[in-house]
Amino acid sequence: MRSRDFVGFSLSSVMAHRTRSILTTMGIAVGIAAVVLLTSIGEGVNRFVLAEFTQFGTNIVAINPGKATTFGAPTGVFNTVRPLSLEDSDALNRIPYVTSVVPVVQGNAEVEGSGRQRRTMVYGVGSQFPEAFKFLVAAGDFLPDDDPRAPRAYAVLGSKLKSELFGDANALGERIRVGGDRYRVVGYMQSKGQVLGFDLDDTVYIPAARALDLFGREGLMEIDVLYAEGAPADEVVAGVNRVLVSRHGGEDFTVTTQQQMLDVLGSVLGVLTFAVGALGGISLLVGGVGILTIMIIAVRERTSEIGLLRALGATRQQILRVFLGEAVILSSLGGLMGLVLGIGGAWLLHLAIPAMPVHTPVSYILMAEAMAVVIGLAAGVTPARRAAAMEPLEALRAE
Amino acid sequence: MRLGDTGKFAAQSLIRARGRTLLMLLAMSIGVSAVVILTGLGEGARRFVTGEFASLGTNLVIVIPGRSETTGGAAALMAGETPRDLTVDDYLALSRNPLVSLAAPVMVGAAGAARGRLEREISVVGTTSEFLKIRHLSMDRGKFLPGGDPSRAVNVCVIGEKIKQELFGKEQALGEWLRLGDRRFRVIGVLATGGRSIGVDIQELVVIPVASAQALFNSPGLFRILVEARSRDVMPRLQDQIRRTIAERHQGEEDVTVVTQDAVLATFDNILRALTFTVGGIGAISLAVAGILIMNIMLVAVSQRTREIGLLKAVGATRGQVTMLFLSEAVLLASLGGLLGLLLGYLGTTAIHGVYPDMDSQAPLWAVLAAIGVSSLTGLVFGIVPARRAAALEPVEALNG
Amino acid sequence: MITLEGINRIFQVGDQQVHALDDISLTIQPGEYLSLMGPSGSGKSTLLNILGLLDKPTSGRYLLEGREVTSLSDDEQASVRGEKIGFVFQFFHLVPRMSAFENVELPLVLAGMAPSVRRERVHVILEQLGLMDRAHHRPDQLSGGQRQRIAIARATIMKPSLLLADEPTGNLDSRSGTDVVEVLEQLNAGGITLVVVTHDGQVGKRAGRRLRMVDGAIVKDERG
Repeated sequence: MRSRDFVGFSLSSVMAHRTRSILTTMGIAVGIAAVVLLTSIGEGVNRFVLAEFTQFGTNIVAINPGKATTFGAPTGVFNTVRPLSLEDSDALNRIPYVTSVVPVVQGNAEVEGSGRQRRTMVYGVGSQFPEAFKFLVAAGDFLPDDDPRAPRAYAVLGSKLKSELFGDANALGERIRVGGDRYRVVGYMQSKGQVLGFDLDDTVYIPAARALDLFGREGLMEIDVLYAEGAPADEVVAGVNRVLVSRHGGEDFTVTTQQQMLDVLGSVLGVLTFAVGALGGISLLVGGVGILTIMIIAVRERTSEIGLLRALGATRQQILRVFLGEAVILSSLGGLMGLVLGIGGAWLLHLAIPAMPVHTPVSYILMAEAMAVVIGLAAGVTPARRAAAMEPLEALRAE
Repeated sequence: MRLGDTGKFAAQSLIRARGRTLLMLLAMSIGVSAVVILTGLGEGARRFVTGEFASLGTNLVIVIPGRSETTGGAAALMAGETPRDLTVDDYLALSRNPLVSLAAPVMVGAAGAARGRLEREISVVGTTSEFLKIRHLSMDRGKFLPGGDPSRAVNVCVIGEKIKQELFGKEQALGEWLRLGDRRFRVIGVLATGGRSIGVDIQELVVIPVASAQALFNSPGLFRILVEARSRDVMPRLQDQIRRTIAERHQGEEDVTVVTQDAVLATFDNILRALTFTVGGIGAISLAVAGILIMNIMLVAVSQRTREIGLLKAVGATRGQVTMLFLSEAVLLASLGGLLGLLLGYLGTTAIHGVYPDMDSQAPLWAVLAAIGVSSLTGLVFGIVPARRAAALEPVEALNG
Repeated sequence: MITLEGINRIFQVGDQQVHALDDISLTIQPGEYLSLMGPSGSGKSTLLNILGLLDKPTSGRYLLEGREVTSLSDDEQASVRGEKIGFVFQFFHLVPRMSAFENVELPLVLAGMAPSVRRERVHVILEQLGLMDRAHHRPDQLSGGQRQRIAIARATIMKPSLLLADEPTGNLDSRSGTDVVEVLEQLNAGGITLVVVTHDGQVGKRAGRRLRMVDGAIVKDERG
């Protein structure tokens, strides 16, 4: 029997019971639609979060004080007996491949300017901050490359803080107070928006040494090391370790590459996507039971047809394939219908809630359809084998 | 026709088509048990988390240095440093408030801990004697930090079980010396492992007096002040008073964030409830699929039993009665499947509870009721079309059918 | 053409053994026209089913065109049925969802023949049987006689050497019955070996060789 004839034959019996076939197909369609829609949302969120992170670049290595972790962060960020110093930061600049090093102290203080006050985030950073994190200066300049130990009292404003304090007026050269200390505004940043719930525009950037003074801290919270594109991350990490161990006499710091973080994040989100997909898959299982039921009924109803085919010279194998083909046709049509529903649903969802990140990769579509086919095969096997096992004479006699 | 007879008739038809009845029951019970197990898991997680919080006391108010105008409460937890530290004097001022029953300052930091040649990095908590009670911890052996003036640095420490194992092994730890950074502390107690504590593994903690921690880290700033109110009723008032007291002490500047344990708890509670609802909803999609299947099978049954329907009508069955017969068959199928699903779901949650005793994964009552209700309703809704089709058959044609 | 030697067929019904065929030996020449008659339960249908490889004898040898066929595998028997044997049934056994054309085409489809060749052959045979105008009707739109002629077309489309008909007129009025028998006889005149099982004496006596069966044995074998 030719494969086209197999398909034609199976299709003709699917078409002969239209209502029944449509309902069976719908069972699979709902399941596939659920899986596609849920994984689309999962994948959308996954991509959204990864994009949020990678917008700062991927060639970053972060160093935090302390090795132990509590509250999900290295405990050393809060206090440590062996702080990371500005000198440490300087020393890291000499490691091969390193293009910039940014010391970071982060805190919270009252900022006063042009008669207005606002509590905002304060970032004590180095002059290379914009290059390292791909931030752009909207007007003026970023902090100058002063002596890290005695920088001038210059400040750069985030776009929101700038508009809250100065409105549309020019802020360059204006004086502000950060936590009581006087600074001169030398620039302000382009808007960066919210990243994972943190408003990156409601900030003020001041030199790290001054932030240490302001907050009465001995050490930095973090040093971010940016290395050249394509450079081996392992060597950079090894370099960081070598320099800091020789300066501290021990490994009392934690080194995290951006890639490690992305990998962890990616795998967590991947598991999540898989989990919601699997939840949707429960419906698919139920749909599979539907195909099984309908195929068992079909085999029983068409017993005498099976007998006839056998009398006309059909082999058991051919009978098996005909019924298996029917099950697969039902499930793959259901799969296609589900894909249309699922992708359409994802698209509508995105229209209705633009903030909802949705993405349906082609590979998911193919996988979903393949899953539908596999379900058809699995559900069709038992009925089809039952059909193939029938004795032709008994089958012919059945009414 | 009596209700009992209708039910008997429907049950007989279902038993006659045993194979497909079993498959339909399977389909429906997969859906229902999915809902029961998923909501059970969600509910279990919620109870676990709220239990963790509740074990810390629900009258707890947490004072965090720093405040941010745009980013709200959650981000304030990450606010970092402030120009004016939260100090031990602030803590003393708060603990004098008559609405406060207990208060403890908390300072955290990292330090190398060494005994002889053994050394490792650990998390250090600097606090006072009240910490034990406020965090509901208990001692395995020895004593917790002594009371008294918190600004006095006493070189004693209390260690977690794991630290004890790693640095002392099987040896006696009480009374021994432990080096933290460049200072020596005498071990006066070991914390019991049983205590729950969110986010912190108390087994890997070393607790020292707050003044010693300030000296060790060379910084006066506290990480948190934990305050326990006398009763739940006074909590809003206490929050206000805390803000005012701190502002007075900080030259009029309100530079702390005051959150209640309840608020944090409520946030988690809401998130987990929403999650439970969502996974339950996703599981419920399969109930819709099972409904479609029941409709399908009932349609097949109607077409196969055309003759029987003709006969029923010939002997005087009305349209309404034929409708009822097929409808009750569908509802019976669906609700039996629902019950079976409940049973399976219950077995599933019990198994999960057996594997993870911490997870009290009972499906919430609303989910159980909803699952049963939805499954019976599915039978009713998806049974209507086939039942009406059966009722609409003309007796003569049906008999010849 | 066909040689049966000592064929026995025993059914187990409950704890009782039923001897449906009792030591049957029979030789059928190519192109012969045989009728098989006898009361219900005499074993005539069982014999026909064994001839058609739909049933296996409990013991004995069956040579079809000189080849031992009882020991063939399931698939080999299927292909012998497909190539050498055509069946005509009392209840037609047409596939209800398929048109007359598709029903006739079915054996060619099972044999994996190319669609263009198939179309040609189905056209020829429908033309011969005068059913061209019914080609695209479904079985339920055809009369009994037309249905049986479609079934005959299907049975002969593979050009089998043996045509087995089990009560071919049993479900037809006498006019269409005669019609159908004439078609079968024409085919026999064309060289096909024809075996007809029937209750109807009028149909049975038309055959060139007439077998009568009672209790699983051939009790009469008349010619001419």
